[in-house]
Amino acid sequence: MNSRNDENLKELFERFLSAEQAESSVEDIQKAEQILREHPAPEPDNMLIANIKAEIAMRLPAKRTNIFIKIASKAIYAAAAILIISAISLNLFDDNVNTREPTPRQYGSIIPTAIWESDDITTDDADLAIYTIEIEQIEEELRSLQSGEDAGNGDSSLSELEMELVAINNDFWKE
Amino acid sequence: MTNSDDLAQLIIGCKSGDSKCFSQVVDMYASRCYGYFYRLTGNRDLSDELLSELFVKLVEKIASYKGGSFEGWLFRIASNIFHDYLRSKQRRKKLLKVHKEQIESEITEPKKSGDEQIDILQIQLKRMDTDTRELIMLRFYSQLSFKEIAKMRSEPIGTTLAKLHRGLKKLRELMG
Repeated sequence: MNSRNDENLKELFERFLSAEQAESSVEDIQKAEQILREHPAPEPDNMLIANIKAEIAMRLPAKRTNIFIKIASKAIYAAAAILIISAISLNLFDDNVNTREPTPRQYGSIIPTAIWESDDITTDDADLAIYTIEIEQIEEELRSLQSGEDAGNGDSSLSELEMELVAINNDFWKE
Repeated sequence: MTNSDDLAQLIIGCKSGDSKCFSQVVDMYASRCYGYFYRLTGNRDLSDELLSELFVKLVEKIASYKGGSFEGWLFRIASNIFHDYLRSKQRRKKLLKVHKEQIESEITEPKKSGDEQIDILQIQLKRMDTDTRELIMLRFYSQLSFKEIAKMRSEPIGTTLAKLHRGLKKLRELMG
């Protein structure tokens, strides 16, 4: 660094002027600068300096917060960029994406297969078993009435049995 | 005056946000920067404002200081602040033509120095053009070399030398 103290004014002026002119110019400058030294500018008030220092101290935490926010935002942006690039890369470089066969659909029944295919209804569904027994009883009574084995009022008994059968049938589908 | 190593340590401290380091920088440069502003404006209140603005800018811009002459860097900011002020003064002049004379006198009227005597130097400086006055004050208060001043002003060193020589010679005549 070419500081002012190291500067040789005469040498500098001699690059543009004669030696005599250079000497005169240096003298002009030195005398004028002496006048400036003899007429010092006023000094700043102590109060002003204290205020400036207080303002600097007040601004510093805000500046540090801003720096933190900048660093945090950069990290977030970088993370987001990595995620986006990764997602795009996976899609671009996955060769199977267009050639992959569609996955076959899977179907499932609400009723378990074992129950659906079972012939032993009574063990699978208690309600169904009860209704089945009742229907079988009614059918038995109906057959005996029709064959004349029942000694009671045949018409009314038959009607009652039929109505009971209809009621059971309805109850069954309500369940 | 501290040596360059101490100054470098202070600047590192400032960059890390140490308020004590900033305080030391203020103590080191406030007087010279204030003198620079005062000699250019002739107004203490205005110099107070400009000095405060300079150190606020220092806090904001210290991260952008990449080495080299710190005085050169600081006085470049000071010079920019002064030019911004000049531009705002021009805008004010246009907007407030009615108060033109009042504003000019506010800006250029010499104020009394600390010892309450009329500052003759300030009166004579007022008679010089702004560019020459700024060059003289930059040289005197920044203590930069001609080479650094020429670089800051983006002009050949010969031009800077000639302008300053003419300006100081004129000042000598005015003060004589």
